[in-house]
Amino acid sequence: MSAKRWLISLAAVSLLTVLIPGTAAASAPYESYNYNYWEEATPAPAPYLPVRSVTGTELGIGEFADPGDMHVSGSGHVYVLDSGNGRIVCLDDSWKVVRVIDSFIREGKEETFANPSGIFTDDKEQIYVADTDNQRIVVLSAEGKLIRVIEQPQSDVLPQGFQFIPLKVTVDQANRVFVVARGVYEGIMQFEEDGTFLGYVGTIKVKRDYGDYFWRLISTDAQKAQMRLFIPTEFSNLDIDRKGFVYATNIDVGSKEPIKRLNPSGEDVLKRFGYFPVAGDIYYRRAVGPSKFVDIKVLGDGMYSALDSTQGRIFTYDDTGNLLYVYGGIGNQLGVFKTPAAVEMLGEHQLVLDRGKGSIVVFEPTAFGQNVNQAVRHHYRGDDVEAQAYWERVLQLNANYDIAYIGIGKAKLMKGENKEALHYFEMGMDRKNYSVAFKRYRREVMKEHFGTFLSAATGAVLLYAVYRTVRHRNKRRVKEA
Amino acid sequence: MRQEYFKFPLHLIVHPFDGYWDLKYENRGRLGVAFSVLALVVIASIVQRQYAGFLVNFNDPRRLNSFDELLYIVLPFFLWCVSNWSVTTLMGGEGKFKEIVLASAYALIPMVLINPPMTLASRFMVQEETVFYYLLTMVATIWFIGLLFVGSMTIHQYSAGKTVLTMFLSVIVMLIIVFLGTLVFSMMQQIYTFLVNVYREIIFRQ
Repeated sequence: MSAKRWLISLAAVSLLTVLIPGTAAASAPYESYNYNYWEEATPAPAPYLPVRSVTGTELGIGEFADPGDMHVSGSGHVYVLDSGNGRIVCLDDSWKVVRVIDSFIREGKEETFANPSGIFTDDKEQIYVADTDNQRIVVLSAEGKLIRVIEQPQSDVLPQGFQFIPLKVTVDQANRVFVVARGVYEGIMQFEEDGTFLGYVGTIKVKRDYGDYFWRLISTDAQKAQMRLFIPTEFSNLDIDRKGFVYATNIDVGSKEPIKRLNPSGEDVLKRFGYFPVAGDIYYRRAVGPSKFVDIKVLGDGMYSALDSTQGRIFTYDDTGNLLYVYGGIGNQLGVFKTPAAVEMLGEHQLVLDRGKGSIVVFEPTAFGQNVNQAVRHHYRGDDVEAQAYWERVLQLNANYDIAYIGIGKAKLMKGENKEALHYFEMGMDRKNYSVAFKRYRREVMKEHFGTFLSAATGAVLLYAVYRTVRHRNKRRVKEA
Repeated sequence: MRQEYFKFPLHLIVHPFDGYWDLKYENRGRLGVAFSVLALVVIASIVQRQYAGFLVNFNDPRRLNSFDELLYIVLPFFLWCVSNWSVTTLMGGEGKFKEIVLASAYALIPMVLINPPMTLASRFMVQEETVFYYLLTMVATIWFIGLLFVGSMTIHQYSAGKTVLTMFLSVIVMLIIVFLGTLVFSMMQQIYTFLVNVYREIIFRQ
């Protein structure tokens, strides 16, 4: 009996000791991780932490109903597209309502939006709205005055009875409009400023599956008719960087390239030099499937964040395709989402629009996230020495961070500290740069020791020659004697 | 005696027809040499996995296990000897089991001679030079296969075609042995669990 009582008290004590650190550590409702060289998910510090959520009620304009998209303009205004209510809510950076646009005047008549699903603002603060059910793109001034409307395009390229159902919209600096439309498999639709249809960019290629090909070969026409068509997938969202490159996401299950960076002629030029594909989760349970990206945000300095709707995670990559960090999740707490719809950046903060909850979640970078961002930005601008200080701080927070080792290695290589660089590249498993550093180090060592080596060799040869002559002479002397 | 332990094996790998003939008919092979070569191959392989240069070493250091080398080298070696013996006795080969062991082990000598120096050299190589590492380790492997071929041809007194056939059959027999081995192993396990269950049944019934 006493043994049992003793066991119970032990259990109680162990429960208590488990609970105490548990409550202290529960600051993020999600577990952050990153993939290492061996493609294992290793725990990492959270890069961003949720600070608050913003709902329509809090703003005093009534609940958001199914908000579909959000965009932060260059001047720091947040434009929320409240699709269910058919309105645009403009907020300033201290979360006060600047104005609400729910209608506009067109040719003397008041018109409204019907289930709009995409919004974008250009650098002149003009608002572009993909007014989905009205089949048009509406361009408004910041005050909500109509500038122009892009409607059903006329072109020989388009099939008969083509329905223009715009979903997402982006504008480049030359005011060309890029539109992702429903049922368009040819790529992203591109429009001139005045609304004339220019053509498609970035067609997704259909990959031939040889298994399917084999079945098609042996099946009858009736069976073939029942098979699904091999059509490319549609794009799901897009964004544009300062140089005019369009970043686009597509939901192509099984694809290694769900994120594309399209150059002006429509080719995919995204750099994928990381250890694994730029495809979100590379390791997942079958039940939750591969990542499905529904939004992408260009963060500047080559970085971009993509929003995965299946697991509610935000994946951020650098310009060469290294996964920097992952955060977010599906759930009910602050910081996790029901149906995430859009990711944006406001200063250093990241905003995620949750369609399901009708709220915007504001994330603040942690020390880890800040240091990673700073390091990547400095490295992108070619300032490796500055970046090194940030990478060192990153390593103090996360010693498993391969990119930090590589970053420090690059800085050391730049400074000519080849031997130290070797160590860092090996820690970061970067064989290519290791080879470069090793080549320099080897040359350095050889240069340093070449003199010693040469004098030692000359000395040896001389000694041998002396030995030979002495022996020879001795032999001759013996012979003579 | 030093002749048999050092000079003869080195002579054999460069003059295989001559060497294997002497090994069989002049009785110049030594089992001690054979097992030393096998042990050296194991050591060379362990060293190579652990210490080959970073640029050519793709092993996860957390998963290196020296016992695996026994599993991947020593076990297949004896499997090969047994299956080759099984096949050749049925197909009129003249080699004894001891000769098969000797011939196969002596064929491994190039691996011992080439791989350790390459492991060392790989530590001083840059990316462009690693081709030589791969090239020379490849040469070692091809040399090994060539020697194995000449070895079995000579000790069994086969024609070239028949040697290729018996080598191929030996590989299949190796697979069959592994298959039967795992079968027996799992059967034993089942018998064991059956007996344990019977025992439990009896003691719980009382």
